[in-house]
Amino acid sequence: MSVRLKIALTILATGVVTALLVIATVLMAFQRFEREVTFQRASAFLMRVSMTYADVLEQWRRQPGPAFNAWLRNLVLYEPDTQLYVLAPDGTVLASSGQARLAPGFRVSIGPVLATMKLAREHPGRTPFVMGDDPERMDADAVVAAEPLGERRSAEPSGYLYLVAHRDSGARWEALRSSFAVPSLVLIALIVAFASVLAMLVIASITRPLQRLTAAVSTLSERGLEAGSTADAAMLLPRAGGDELGRLTAAFEMMLATVRRQWDALRGLDRFRREGVSNLSHDLRSPLTATAACLETLDARWTADEARAQDRALLEVALRNTRNAARLVQSLGDLAKLDEPEFRLNAVLVDVDELLGDIRLRFAERAAQRGIALRTEGPAADAQALHAMVDVELFERAIANLVDNALKFCPRGATVTLSARRAEGGVEVCVHDDGPGIDATELPHLFDRYFRGRSSVAPATGEGGQGLGLAIVKRIVDLHGGKVAATSAPGAGTRITWLLPARGTSFA
Amino acid sequence: MPPASILVAEDQTDIRDLLVLNLKGAGYDVHAVADGPSALASQAERASDLLILDLMMPGLDGLEVCKALRARGRSAPILMLTAKSTELDRVLGLELGADDYLTKPFSLAELLARVKALLRRAELLRAAQADARDRTEAIRNGDLEIWPAKRQVRIAGRTVEFTALEFDLLLHFANHPGRVFSRAQLLDAVWGYTHDGYEHTVTTHINRLRSKLEADPMRPEVILTVRGAGYKMREAPR
Repeated sequence: MSVRLKIALTILATGVVTALLVIATVLMAFQRFEREVTFQRASAFLMRVSMTYADVLEQWRRQPGPAFNAWLRNLVLYEPDTQLYVLAPDGTVLASSGQARLAPGFRVSIGPVLATMKLAREHPGRTPFVMGDDPERMDADAVVAAEPLGERRSAEPSGYLYLVAHRDSGARWEALRSSFAVPSLVLIALIVAFASVLAMLVIASITRPLQRLTAAVSTLSERGLEAGSTADAAMLLPRAGGDELGRLTAAFEMMLATVRRQWDALRGLDRFRREGVSNLSHDLRSPLTATAACLETLDARWTADEARAQDRALLEVALRNTRNAARLVQSLGDLAKLDEPEFRLNAVLVDVDELLGDIRLRFAERAAQRGIALRTEGPAADAQALHAMVDVELFERAIANLVDNALKFCPRGATVTLSARRAEGGVEVCVHDDGPGIDATELPHLFDRYFRGRSSVAPATGEGGQGLGLAIVKRIVDLHGGKVAATSAPGAGTRITWLLPARGTSFA
Repeated sequence: MPPASILVAEDQTDIRDLLVLNLKGAGYDVHAVADGPSALASQAERASDLLILDLMMPGLDGLEVCKALRARGRSAPILMLTAKSTELDRVLGLELGADDYLTKPFSLAELLARVKALLRRAELLRAAQADARDRTEAIRNGDLEIWPAKRQVRIAGRTVEFTALEFDLLLHFANHPGRVFSRAQLLDAVWGYTHDGYEHTVTTHINRLRSKLEADPMRPEVILTVRGAGYKMREAPR
């Protein structure tokens, strides 16, 4: 859940709760107002009755029963929802205007009765209201009013006239809904909705810079610090304001600038190093060519001369070393070229298995001379051809380096196998030999630059012996977006596996 | 028959002298210059049978000399010497007209072998072109028609464009339908190279041929792979 959503939900919930509280308060106030009005009306009515009929109790004593009840009913004929009772001093209902038959000796609690008279006495005209028992509906209290009966000045009244105004609650709701509640509810809902939308707009304006900051950061993490991506990320940044987010943005911008500066410095250094190696390799080529050519010329001249046999042996050492140096220079230059960020593969879709067959053919003679069996192990004849996007030249160079190494380090009678098979996500190319194997301590560094593994074996000529052959393999594998792994145990041979991604996909 | 004449254009005196010394020793008629413009002038005057050009020369570099010579329609083979391995693809794509290249540092034995191969190939090419000029009839293989004299290829009646090398490779296959060639043999016969480490060019070109010839390049039916041996063209269906 995003922060924006959380805040929006919080605001919405707060709004709803506020709206409910407001509605409840309004309803309560309305009820209270209604009850006060009812109470005042009831008190005034009772007052009028007691003024008009001073002898209510006398009348009741003379003729209790239905006739008196009918007289009481007549009194409240024009007062809706109102019942009149005559109470004994202890609250026992003596007579009632209502139709309901009350149990003989039924009593209402006397507290409210006394309270209403006290209220009328102490705050005339400004009375709140009193809730008391409703003899007809004992489950709910109703607004009541009372007036003492009997001797006007006596402290102990001989009875009470008791009025119950029981508004039907259903009718009250009806009144609320029609007259007051619905428009106000709609209004309240509208106010809450409007406030929520406003709040969300405010939140959006707060979180938008955060979102842009996030976009900038994720642009960086997706594309790294390659050229252009820092500028793109900076473009995504929100305008830095004076608030906390603005300061965060400004800090981020500064960090970006620092990182970019350092990155540029590193890149510059790396380019300098690469170009240095490249130029060195380039500059060494001509002198090495001249030297080698001189030595070769001499060698050719002295071939026929018996007296020069010893000199020729020296010449051969010089020539061999010159050629090794030349190869190293070439490998260094090639690696520098492969390291260039601008270097692009010339990848085409080829049948890997077919290519391995051709490479085997290329090395067949050399393998035979060294007494090593070189074979290919393709997929079953009916299997689908193993196509992959590869740069033919570089692929062949990598496999050739691996085969070259295997041929160099394996004794006579060994077998070197080239194989390819479909693997999850691509094609797995494998160069396997059953030669002496590689020591476990050397294995993790096998593809490191300038690492001269297999130190126990005499250094060979060519790339492998110079610690660059496998580094070139690694670089070529990386350029193809693949993975290379070596497994080996001394005495049990070496297996180097190159996982080539399927067309267009990468394992990176 | 007089010895073949070779023009060496190389600005580095040491290497130039060594080249001249050894080429003369091998019996060639050698002329050497130190820059591009002199190479062009010399070639205009003497028309050597083969040129050895250094890629990096003052004045005009090797590629420019190459281009200028090709523009004049000279067909003498050119062997390019280069210290820049990054230029290999362009040089070798032959879009610039070099026939072969050697990266420094190279061995003299290799250089002499290449010179020999290039001269032999030029001879063969002249013969083949003379032969092709006489062959006004098409070589047919299924719906494939190859017109050697016009250097034109049609597939199912539709003309398909091939580069010079692609055409030479296709013609070589078509001249020997059913015969299997290893990559090394093709390199020798079509490119005129005899050296190791360049076979991937053959793979690349066979790939390109297939993409133009085959209905489904992933399941070739014209240029077939013979596992463990090489490639062949299908025998013409009757």
